[in-house]
Amino acid sequence: MLDVIFIMLIFFIVTAVFIKEPGVDIVRVDAETDGPQNRIAVLIAVTEDNEVYIDNREVDVNGVRAMVERMRNENPQGSVVIQADEHSDSGVVVEVIDQARAAGAPSIAVTTLND
Amino acid sequence: MKRRISQEGQDTEVDLTPMLDVVFIMLIFFIVTATFVREKGIEVLRPDESEDPPTESVVAIVIRVDESNDIWIEERIVDLRAVRANVERMRAENAESPVLIQADREADTGIVIGVMDQARLAQAPAVSIATVE
Repeated sequence: MLDVIFIMLIFFIVTAVFIKEPGVDIVRVDAETDGPQNRIAVLIAVTEDNEVYIDNREVDVNGVRAMVERMRNENPQGSVVIQADEHSDSGVVVEVIDQARAAGAPSIAVTTLND
Repeated sequence: MKRRISQEGQDTEVDLTPMLDVVFIMLIFFIVTATFVREKGIEVLRPDESEDPPTESVVAIVIRVDESNDIWIEERIVDLRAVRANVERMRAENAESPVLIQADREADTGIVIGVMDQARLAQAPAVSIATVE
């Protein structure tokens, strides 16, 4: 039994990913050509009122780059995923994408409805 | 002192119970904190500023989304559901042409991503987003 528990313990330690969720509710966009996003390093939320949230805190658009750079240090291979609200301004979302790209994110995606 | 230790070592087994407790607590901690985040998403491309200007043979299909969320293709307002058919028709003329979405800064993200989704459904090779003031 002890062996089994040890194996489970090791499994959960290895698979443990500590993703820091933005912590705001958004209305997702529905899309048909989406795919599952693996290895997420940073989650950024853009709300209906065009506020940008990372790790439960509101961030200025110009501060996104520094935050993404810092959070990518922990998981350099991971991608950046933006949880954009349906009614957020595309200008803000594109600016966040640009900032994330400037921080060196290998791939950037916008989350869509889970169906 | 020496004698007692050697005697104990002979006829008692190592008590594993405290270690088992610790391992259990760690196991429960990792099970509880395990977050299996399942996000579905659509990857976005931005036109590279450093890229060479497009050659004349490759003309991009430009889709404009204005601030009142109207979608314009070739100077006509198009419904979101008709974007796919329009892109397919234009790609029939030039299969290599990439799709460029010019979104107004105040256009809704939902519409812009929807247009992008439709263009990707039309098998456009590269769909990128640009913003206009």
